[in-house]
Amino acid sequence: MFVALLEAAPDAMVCIAADGRVVLVNAQAERLFGYQRAELIGQPVEILVPDAARAVHPGHRAGYVADPRHRPMGAGRPLAGRRSDASTFPAEISLSAIDTDEGILVAAAIRDITAQLRVRDLERSSQSLESFIYSVSHDLRAPLRALSGYSGALLEDFGGILGEEGRGYAERIVAASEQMTQLIDYLLQLSRLSRAELHLQPVDLGGEAALIAEELQQGEPRRHVCFTIEKPVLALADRRLIRTVLQNLLDNAWKFTSGRDDASIEFGTAPSTDATVCCYVRDNGAGFDPAYAGKLFQPFQRLHAARDFPSTGTGTGLASVRQIVERHGGRVWAEGAVGAGATFYFTLDGKEGA
Amino acid sequence: MTSRIILLVEDNPDDEALTLRAFKKNQINNEVVMMRDGAEALAYLLPDGDGDGDGRPCPALVLLDLNLPKIGGLEVLRRMRADERTRLIPVVVLTSSKLEEDILDSYRNGANAYVRKPVNFSDFAEAVRTLGVFWLLLNEPVPSLGPESN
Repeated sequence: MFVALLEAAPDAMVCIAADGRVVLVNAQAERLFGYQRAELIGQPVEILVPDAARAVHPGHRAGYVADPRHRPMGAGRPLAGRRSDASTFPAEISLSAIDTDEGILVAAAIRDITAQLRVRDLERSSQSLESFIYSVSHDLRAPLRALSGYSGALLEDFGGILGEEGRGYAERIVAASEQMTQLIDYLLQLSRLSRAELHLQPVDLGGEAALIAEELQQGEPRRHVCFTIEKPVLALADRRLIRTVLQNLLDNAWKFTSGRDDASIEFGTAPSTDATVCCYVRDNGAGFDPAYAGKLFQPFQRLHAARDFPSTGTGTGLASVRQIVERHGGRVWAEGAVGAGATFYFTLDGKEGA
Repeated sequence: MTSRIILLVEDNPDDEALTLRAFKKNQINNEVVMMRDGAEALAYLLPDGDGDGDGRPCPALVLLDLNLPKIGGLEVLRRMRADERTRLIPVVVLTSSKLEEDILDSYRNGANAYVRKPVNFSDFAEAVRTLGVFWLLLNEPVPSLGPESN
């Protein structure tokens, strides 16, 4: 019965007698330490203890037998086990004592925590990256405010003395600090995106697109843009994040069709597998040179000079789009030609996909 | 109106200069008392000991940065809200941070408003002007804090 229990335990189990010799092990222990059962039985348990701790181990062991309470071993110190090939692994070990006819038996449950430690390290380093990015973005903002503030004050208070050229320079400082602010904001947003939890739910992308289209139209009521929006288009997505995707794509379409009287913007779906939805946003605007298609989704890249499209952003919109879609397990790509409009595709899990 | 003072808790000298300039430019002539860290602000707002703080005018508005030396802005806010003497003083958090956590924590601890310092010069000046006009002119002060009852 006891042996059967031992075999059924999820952890590696090693039982030793009061003299420190191994009495029983389970198959998990054989695997963990790389020994056959016969090689362990009758041996001092110290062969499973890393060399560095071997000398002190018998003392600790005697201490436990003198006061055998069920407890984790090591009192918070990092523990390790030693395999047959002399390699070691970090371990969590808990001890309990069993009274038997042959005297007291000490049962040790040993768990290899290599993977747990790795996860912990990863979490720690991603947290410190997080706080690094936060403090950088916070600390950079203050000097930028000073740059923008004092050049603005120069312009306002001493604009007359500066002359036209001097004012131009000060204006450039204001503009440059503005741009750097946006870059910092983007960094912050990226880092937030990468750690944000996804709240997946069925979202009608067509409905969201229609709302955004309405806002765009209200923002510039004089423009005539023909919107064609398919709805409903249901997909599993984080509503807030996917709205950012649609917002960025439709903003772009709106912006790059600004030169046309017959502007048209379309949101729809392309044929795809059952499990995924393939959406696109298509416009008949300025388009892009397909040679640079690969650069489109990289942060801080712009294919259009700021002077052609004055409201051109920082070149981070499409990078965010890619980041969000990839967080959802989807893909983005674009097709287009100079002067012939652009189509941006992205895939998501369908409503029934997950 | 000029008798009502503004407590500006700000450790960055540039932000201080630009805030003061914006007040001046916008004819907000209230006295501004500068506090350069959280401990200084608390010592002013919540003086302990006998009569140490008597005669210090109670501010009509506290503009509070979050990232402060010694005692942080959130802690200043927490202690202000825990004390009868400062519980009702309007506090506007004025900071660089737009972290959701900071915004939430500020409101949870009783901030009356949360304003992110704009980087852009004219936006910053406009934000300071709006704050001054709203909190010192438009907003009806808590009666016991108002100048009329003094």
